[in-house]
Amino acid sequence: MAGGQSTRRRAIVLLILTSIILITLDLQNSSAVSGLRSFFGVIFRPVESTTRVVTRPVSNAWHGIFDYNNVLDENDQLREKIAQQEGATIAAAASVRLAQELLALNGLPTLAGINAVTAQVIGDSPTNFSQTIEINQGSESGVRVGMPVLNAAGLVGKITKVFNDRSVVMLVTDPDFALSIKVVNAPRTAITTTTIARSNAAVPSPVVPIEGGQTIDSSVSSTTSTTTTTTIAGFTPSVTTLPAVPSGVPSITVPLASDLAVRETGVIEGRGPSRQPVVRFIDNALRFGDIQVGVPIVTAGGSRSLSPPDILIGKVSRVVERLGSAGPLLEVELVADLSNLSFLRVLLYQPITEKAVP
Amino acid sequence: MIRLLTIMSNRWTRLILVMLIVLSLQTTIFADLRPFGVAAQVVLLFVVAAGSIFGLAIGSLTGLIAGMMYDLILPTPVGLSSLAMGLAGATAGLLIYFFDQPTWWMRLIAIAVASVLGELFFPIAQSIVGIDGWLQLRVIKVSVVVAICNVIISPLAILICRWTLTERKSVI
Repeated sequence: MAGGQSTRRRAIVLLILTSIILITLDLQNSSAVSGLRSFFGVIFRPVESTTRVVTRPVSNAWHGIFDYNNVLDENDQLREKIAQQEGATIAAAASVRLAQELLALNGLPTLAGINAVTAQVIGDSPTNFSQTIEINQGSESGVRVGMPVLNAAGLVGKITKVFNDRSVVMLVTDPDFALSIKVVNAPRTAITTTTIARSNAAVPSPVVPIEGGQTIDSSVSSTTSTTTTTTIAGFTPSVTTLPAVPSGVPSITVPLASDLAVRETGVIEGRGPSRQPVVRFIDNALRFGDIQVGVPIVTAGGSRSLSPPDILIGKVSRVVERLGSAGPLLEVELVADLSNLSFLRVLLYQPITEKAVP
Repeated sequence: MIRLLTIMSNRWTRLILVMLIVLSLQTTIFADLRPFGVAAQVVLLFVVAAGSIFGLAIGSLTGLIAGMMYDLILPTPVGLSSLAMGLAGATAGLLIYFFDQPTWWMRLIAIAVASVLGELFFPIAQSIVGIDGWLQLRVIKVSVVVAICNVIISPLAILICRWTLTERKSVI
């Protein structure tokens, strides 16, 4: 009995000590552990490939039984969406080309100038506590750790492990994921310009309603005309022209700072598959104004960022105000559907800080 | 040749070979089929089955070896799964220790309880080494689904586990 107890105690002590030693070694980036990983990978991959081939019929049968109706519904929804978006795509493509030409003319970096590798998703994470996927492109195709991964909609994640012919992608929803972003806040509201031109002629005019419930009664001796400019999504009315002064002074163009699209940087962090990622460290600046639900979130770029600027990540779905100078917390609805990934694009982009010194 | 046969007749050598196949099933079919969005954990099932059949010492050693092999293919630090699986194996062994002559349904209960706890140990171990964010309410749903899946597959797992870990007399 005593012998049995000491065996049990020894087994548990051995287990805990071995695990702690292994964790310590790995967290210190021990070459022995990474060598062991590579060696095990060489043995394990052929077994895994064989099992994948053997179990594919079972997997297909499962999806056929349980997912068939979902696929039909999704197909209908997608057809409807395609019909809606066909017109908008043509206009958007023209705008994107124009924007890229302008950026190129001004010597600014654009996504069009960055090479990319197309990859296929070959595996999901086997555990429930890591949001990763495996793709079929590796170091042989030029993929390196840290490179951003996109699908047709937007950012999906970043490369965290690279092998010869495959890589591991950490998804945006993984709690370990963090990336600097920009919040592109839209100008505040519709702009109402009221021009009141006084004249001597006593012309009666109707009462003109102005936004906000105010009215101007021009029954005395004035003419009132109201022009309402409504903001168009994606268009920033950044300048206004003052009325011409009669005495030969040329008109001056004055930019309205409050109407410019203001950008504020923060950090996006994943929170697991069941919760939306959040953006932290947004400055509570007056000029930035209130962040509206629906404004886009794009990558910030910069010399230290792992991704180039202006890759679309998602839009703000909820703004959580916090007390003090902490700034608001933004919940982000991702544009990419991470539950259904098949073909991805790895941008062959490495910031200057990550470039290996020869 | 004789030496090779001797090595192959060792239960730990058999465990490593069987675990290679179990791991490959885990990373392919069980990573793909996700009932209620949760991946069934057959590696964990094998470990708790070992604990429930052979007791605490064998259960924890099986967990240590299986967990270490699992660690080598996961992006998390090596040692985390070893610790979580080892504790799960030990828990299963400890649960069955209280029954004098465990019947099949007692084993199933031990497997279910150890599976729930084993699935909880992993995010706890992650939090201890600074990988935050996984200890959410979702963990409860994950643990319950994993336990149900494990109970369903356990008869097969018990058979394989018994074949793998039973000490045999040398064939030489």
